[in-house]
Formats: sequence, C-alpha cells, structure tokens
Amino acid sequence: MNPRRPASRRKVLLWAAFAGLVIAGIVAGAEALRYPHPTDTAVTAPDPQETEVATDIRDPVECPEPLPREGQEREGGTPGGISRRTSNELYDCPEFYDEQRIRYRGEVVGAVLRRDEGAWVHLNDDLYADVGPLPAHRDFRGGNAGLGVFIPHELADEIEFVGGPQTRGDILEVTGVFHRVDESTGEVAILRATDGSRTPGQPLERPTLPARRAVAVVMALVMVAVIVAERRHKRRAAA
Amino acid sequence: MLFRPDREDFRLIGFYTGKVLFGVGCAMAVPLAVAVAAGETNEAYGFLIGLSLAVTVGRATSWLLATDAPLRTSHGLATVASAWLLAPVAAAVPLLLSGHYLGFLDAYFEAMSGFATIGLTLANDLDHMARSVNLWRHLMQFLGGQGIVVVVLTIFASAGARVGALYTGEGREEKVVPNVIRTAQFIWRVALVYGLIGTAALWTTIMLAGVTPVTALYHAVNLFMAAFDTGGFSPQSASVAFYRSASVEFVLLPIMVAGAFSFALHYLLWQGKFRELFRNIEARALAVSMTVLYLIAVIGLGRSGTFTDFWPLFRQGLFHMVSAHTTTGLSSVPGRMFFTDWGVLAPAMLVSAMAVGGMAGSTAGGIKGIRVGLIAKSLRQDIRKVLYPEDASVVETVHTVRDRPLDERMVRPAATILLLWLALYFGGALAGLFYGYDLQMSMFESTAAASSGGLSVGVVRPELEWPLKVMYILQMVVGRLEFIAPFALVGYVIAIFRGRA
Repeated sequence: MNPRRPASRRKVLLWAAFAGLVIAGIVAGAEALRYPHPTDTAVTAPDPQETEVATDIRDPVECPEPLPREGQEREGGTPGGISRRTSNELYDCPEFYDEQRIRYRGEVVGAVLRRDEGAWVHLNDDLYADVGPLPAHRDFRGGNAGLGVFIPHELADEIEFVGGPQTRGDILEVTGVFHRVDESTGEVAILRATDGSRTPGQPLERPTLPARRAVAVVMALVMVAVIVAERRHKRRAAA
Repeated sequence: MLFRPDREDFRLIGFYTGKVLFGVGCAMAVPLAVAVAAGETNEAYGFLIGLSLAVTVGRATSWLLATDAPLRTSHGLATVASAWLLAPVAAAVPLLLSGHYLGFLDAYFEAMSGFATIGLTLANDLDHMARSVNLWRHLMQFLGGQGIVVVVLTIFASAGARVGALYTGEGREEKVVPNVIRTAQFIWRVALVYGLIGTAALWTTIMLAGVTPVTALYHAVNLFMAAFDTGGFSPQSASVAFYRSASVEFVLLPIMVAGAFSFALHYLLWQGKFRELFRNIEARALAVSMTVLYLIAVIGLGRSGTFTDFWPLFRQGLFHMVSAHTTTGLSSVPGRMFFTDWGVLAPAMLVSAMAVGGMAGSTAGGIKGIRVGLIAKSLRQDIRKVLYPEDASVVETVHTVRDRPLDERMVRPAATILLLWLALYFGGALAGLFYGYDLQMSMFESTAAASSGGLSVGVVRPELEWPLKVMYILQMVVGRLEFIAPFALVGYVIAIFRGRA
C-alpha cells in the first residue's frame, strides 16, 4: 500500500485560486465575445405606453373583480367598449376579461397552425415584438409574453413572415372575444378573433462577428494540439 | 477521525472530472453540426468555442492527472459533485454567446437547469432563439437525465468497473444488471427505443396540429428529450400550449410517465414481467399519490370555478398533474394563471406532486415514490401494532422485484432523506419570502427548482435577484444528486482545513 501524501493546504489553496482564475477567464472571455452592445447597434426604445412591459410579480394584482378562491361565485367583468389589452392584463385578471371583446396586437411566432375553421397563431406582445428580436440588441426584458389566437383563414392567408430564429414575424392586430377557458376545445386563455390587420415582418440579418470567429479557430487549433500531444505521449509511454 | 485528503485523492477527482468535461465537449458537436446546417454562423462559432474549451480542459486534465489508483466511494461522490458544478460552466459558454442571456450567471443557471432536468428558464426572447442553441438546451436535459457520468461511462467503457462509485453518486441507487457499464448501456437502449417511438408519435401529432414536417421533427425531437428526461424545456415560450392540440398532450403523457419509471422497472418490463408494474411498492405509491392529488386538484378546480365542463377539467388537470408528479414541467397554461385563476387547492396539489416526484433511479426528481411507500408502510405497521394484541407479530412486506420484510434499516434512511428534502424545499421558500415573494409563489418555485418539477408561476425570470438565482442553482444540483455527493464534496473541503495529516 502506498504511503499517504497529504496535500499541503497552501498548495490546495493555490490550485483552487488557479481554477478560480481559469473560470473567471472563461467568463470574461465569453462576455467579451457576445453580440455587440446597443451603443454599437442603433435601437430605438419604444413608447412605454405602447409596449407591454412586465410588472413586478410581487405587486398585488389589481383586478376590477377580486381573484377567485375556492367556493366563490364567478361573475366576470362588465362588457364595455372594445379596448386594447395586453397578455399580462389578461393573465392577471382572466375572470374579468372572460367572454369580453377586446383588441390585441402581437408578433406571429413559431408557426401558423391551420385547422378546419381557421388557424391558431401565437402572438407575442412583448418588447421584442416592438423593438425587434434578440440578439440584435441587448435590451433584455425577460421571457416572451403572448397569447394564443384563433384567426379566420382569410387573415391566416395574409401572414407572410412567422417570427423565429431568422425572421421577425408579422404583427397582427386583431379584434375578438377572450376566453378564459374555451369550452369547445379545452384550451385555456385564448382569443377567438373575427377580424384583424397585418404589419409585415422581415428576415433578420445577424451581424458578422470576426473576433468570435478568430477566437473559435485559435481555440480549435489549441484543442487539436492538446489531443495530438496527449496521444504522442501515450504512444511513447506505451513503447 | 477526519484525514486531510491525499494528493492522489485530488488526482482521482480531477482525472474523472476531466473525462466528464471531455464528454460534455463532445456532445456540443451535435448543436455545432445543426448550427452549420441551419446557417447559424455566429452560433456555430459559439459552439466551437465551448467545445474546444471543454475538450481542451477535459483532455489536459485527464492527461496530466492520469492515475491507476482505485476509485473509492468518497472519490466517486466528490467527482460527481465537482463534475456537475463544472460541466455547466463549459455548457453555458455557447448559451451566453447566443445573446439571449443577461449574463454568465443566467447562462450557468440555464445549463444547470438543463443538466439537472429542472426546466426553469432564464432565457430572454426564447421564440427567436437560434435552433442550434435551443437544441442544446434540450440535449443538456437528455444528457443530464441519463446522467452525465453514465453518458461518459458508455462512451469510455474502458474506464471499467472502477467507476461504480460515480454511478451511485449521480442519484442512481440500484444497478439494473450487476455490471455498471452494462447498466449504463441498458439505460441508453431504453432511451433510444423510447426515443424512436416517442419522437415518431410526437412528430405525427405535431404535424397534424399544423406544423410543417421539418419544423415538426425538430419540435418532436426536442419535446421528446424534455418529456422522457422529465426536463420541461420546450422549443417555444408557450410550452405545450403552443400546439393547441390535445393529441400532443396525450402523446406526451406516457412519455413523461416512462421517464419517471426507474430503469430497474423498465428492465423488468423489458423482460415481460408486467405484473411488477402492479406489485412494485414504488409504482403503487406513485399511482396512489398521483390519483389522490389529482382528485383533490380536480375538487379545487371545480370549487374555484376554474373549469365548469368535464373536458377542460379532465384535460388540463390530468396533463398538469402528470407533468408535476413526473417532475417534467411542461405546461399548457400560462404560469401566471396558476396563481390568478386556479385558486389555492389545485396549485397546492401541484406543489405536493412535484415534491413527491418520480421513482428512484429514474430521470425524475423529488422525494421519490420508494421513500413515500416505505414510510407509509412503516406507518401502517405501527398502527397495526397498536391495534393488534401485544404478543402478535406484525410484519409488513415490501415488493421491489421480490418480497422483503420491512425493517428499520430501510425506513430510517428513507425518513432521513425525506427530512432533507423538506428542508431543501423550505430553505428555498424562505429565501423567496426574504425577497418579498408571497408564500404560495415562494413554495411553488422552490419546490420546482429542488425537485426538478419545473412548473413556474413566474418568479424565475431574468430579472430575478441574483442571490435567489444562486439559491435555486444550489437547490437544483443538491436535489438532482440527492444530497450525498454534494455533502461529500463539502466534506472534502472541510477535511482540507480540519483533517489530520
């Protein structure tokens, strides 16, 4: 049995510091190679009134009707004029807006799912729908916010750009009835739209990043060098 | 007596951690290829950087620290913990470079959430994320669900039987077959067979939902990995609601349940022993737990008036209960509405379901059915002892493969781990309360992070306070590795300073 060779605390701490430095270097390097900052790419901030900005989840939800609890009757809101609503408003107070006619505006993302009587689209009404998708800027506003909308075939036929990795989707502004629960399909929180209009999207152009390319090539060469050196060492040791 | 770690101890831990890093680097070749094929040039360079980094560090470490010393249990546990902490560092690099994360901490959170199959996300604007990066998120769940170490074992089978300690450290308590390498290979075989069937079924239903064939295949592959490995990421921000299809949800149900089955149970089913499904204590415990929690949730949803018709109540209630109980985290309801429209009883049942989780030795997290079953049996034994005559001998049996009499040596560890789980859940909830989130939200999110449940009411978001992000990361890794491996790593650190030479 080999005698124990306890590691000295100083050496362990030095190695730990070295590992910490390597990790810090990785973090710093990765930060430096990110997509350009907004100062390098012109981004126009939208009017806050026009953009859906997520409120702090800790803020109390203020609905015209109190939030439902077990054993309470649900009454729903009073139908008023058709006003534009955001997905966050609808999710905060689904009972109030249930069966109400509203206007809603958002970017078509993912796909247009055609069914017999119309098509499902997911419309995002977050900041990215107004300012543009990431990573073209660094105005991070969290996850996407959107709503499932069932639209007529005629409107679905008009859609040209569906938002995705390489596309900024069309913006649809639709009018329809919000359903907290759609009894015919079992879907939750959807809008059945009757009409709408479209603002066209566009293909996205991503900037070229020469620094990232150079670093990637150098690191790949280092990787190959390490693998070759290790193999040679092993072959020599075996011989 | 606590001894200060030997140099050989550090060599061993570094050597095997290096191998795992190398394995993670190799896995990045898959999204790299997708990035090249999809014309995502910047992302391709991002993956090349991440791959080169992981492979270089991994190969260099295992070369410089090469050793033939035997791997003891403590080494294995500490290696697993260190590998699970370091692998997400490399995995986070392409995520950060994708431009969808606020900073490195968020990218690291996402990588940990992926490997630990949690499903909570800090991604900004997921719906415009590059396909290769989105695939990497799901692939991490697949690798983590199978067990990163198991993955590496299968690739580097020459590591041999010495690595059994690594296997147990990754939260897998039982070997399916006596040889750990063959166990790992069996786990792969199960995943591939389910993968082919599950992906084909999902592909078909997603196409029927209206998605074009190529995109549907991409979604099907990602969704399969998220469901079978009980991960919970999804290709779109709306999760499963995006497809507006009950068929997709019903195809996902058996995939999630299969993911929550232990690989030992899969092995028995594979051999045609279907009766085991009805006799196994863990399967029975989960069936009872899921049924009871589902019924209470249905009562809650009915009383709160969330659903008044049978079909939406059945569909939404069942999908979310299975998603929560298998700790998958896929959802067809906006998370915010659990809080604003589901009353209090139904979300409480979802939290309870996530807390219990799936089976030990599966891809699921949580307390696990075996512990719940053992403690329930022990409770029943105690009650029967009180009711029966004093001289009566009361024996409870436990069935896992064969009948065994219940004894204290089974119950005590189960009770200890149960207490640790509860402490983990409440610890995270306390941190949430400290930052001003209410009890319902704090408990929901903490349980989701620790148990790998992954459902969210919206607390976990990019604007989340950084100490809470760190807290949830710790909960994820401690929960995924089921306490022992992280404790072993902490033990090593303590031994460095307090151990005797």
